[in-house]
Amino acid sequence: MSQQAKSGLDAVDEGPVPSDAAGPASAGVPADPAGHPSVAGLIARFGPAIVHHEVSAGDQHVVHVAPTRNLEILGWLRDDPGARYDLLADVTAVDLGGGRPLQVVYQLWSIPHRRGLRVKCLLALDALEIDSVVGLWSSADWLEREVYDMFGVTFRGHPDLRRILMPMDYAEGHPLRKDFPLRGRFSRAEQTRRALAQDLEKFYTPHDIEIGREPQQVTLPAAPAPEGPGAES
Amino acid sequence: MGLNLPGAGAGAGPGGLFGPGSPTFLTTKIDFVVNWARRESMWPMPFGTACCAIEMMAAFASDFDLSRFGMERMSFSPRQADVLICAGRVPYKLAPVLRRIWDQMPQPKWCVSMGACASTGGVFDVYSMVQGIDTIVPVDVYVPGCPPRPEGLIYALMMIQEKVRQESLAQHYELRAEDPSRVASPRASEAEVVALSGPFGNSTQQNQLVGGAEVKAAPRSDDPTP
Repeated sequence: MSQQAKSGLDAVDEGPVPSDAAGPASAGVPADPAGHPSVAGLIARFGPAIVHHEVSAGDQHVVHVAPTRNLEILGWLRDDPGARYDLLADVTAVDLGGGRPLQVVYQLWSIPHRRGLRVKCLLALDALEIDSVVGLWSSADWLEREVYDMFGVTFRGHPDLRRILMPMDYAEGHPLRKDFPLRGRFSRAEQTRRALAQDLEKFYTPHDIEIGREPQQVTLPAAPAPEGPGAES
Repeated sequence: MGLNLPGAGAGAGPGGLFGPGSPTFLTTKIDFVVNWARRESMWPMPFGTACCAIEMMAAFASDFDLSRFGMERMSFSPRQADVLICAGRVPYKLAPVLRRIWDQMPQPKWCVSMGACASTGGVFDVYSMVQGIDTIVPVDVYVPGCPPRPEGLIYALMMIQEKVRQESLAQHYELRAEDPSRVASPRASEAEVVALSGPFGNSTQQNQLVGGAEVKAAPRSDDPTP
């Protein structure tokens, strides 16, 4: 039975890899680029920028690309007629700990071709910066804010890079990093004090809290002139 | 008994309260009447944040029917509420909201902390979660369970009714004293928060006690802030 024939559940049975374990940054198996048309296209187009290709959980193709060229490669994946990944399902990140690089993960889906692809960019822990893809997919807006909030990755060119889950004045760092203590860096009393001292009006305008848009002025088209007597009734 | 029926002669009329010939008025104690009115028409303010809220809804629905006890109407406006039911976990980001809702409720008011998370933080002994809402607002009754059955919530509200029944108007200013300067500031002092949250989780205080972990803020120059 080949590796390709494994189902996703078999991979789940193998269990998680301890975060401090040395070794490769992923549990996937190297795969044949011919197994996925977009991967073959990517390698033909970008060559050395496609660092690694593997299959995880049976049939999920994962491509590691150079983080300096993520915008170019993801733009090609969106626009090339053979790829057409028009849905960005998720942007997230993985911190595997042990000093290994942090992975920014883009989960793509192509509605016309009914194909999925996962693209990963590995960022060294002392250089957590990558280009934003909000210009390609608007759905990346809040997802990149979440990655920034939880992992501290700075997305260059993001229109509004603020915290999204944690309080706006959260000062303890980025909670999903492996070096973040489970209960935070401050004492419980200090956390309670800071939470209650939040000035909500400072961070949220009524515009934020109420409804997304200003009420729009509706202009009705001019009514046609009544024709003849009795038309107004 | 709180109600005293006067003698049949006094005020007896043709159509009395208890049939012809019975009196047309009652005498009672003001404490009893006020507590009776408060007790039997409590309007809960539901603050449901998690699965406990599902059990709270079940308690309000027809099978358990909290209306039987006078909780006729869920008051989604805190200005018209009597009892705050905090059902579910409360993260620190929500703490000022809970505190503001409590401050907006008019006196007299009571608070039920429903479930393990609201009472102690529960399994969420993590960076983001309030370790017991009693560090934010004063709590009258804690309901254990994860989540509690609707009977548990009903029992808690009946305990609040019992608490109301035993109150006297003479105690009003003592029971209802609120320091305006403390509104929207921590109800408990730092030592109280540590004492309240310490024994329940394996929380930061225990690390402090055994010196197991550094709990003060560590300087991190590489964390960019917007």
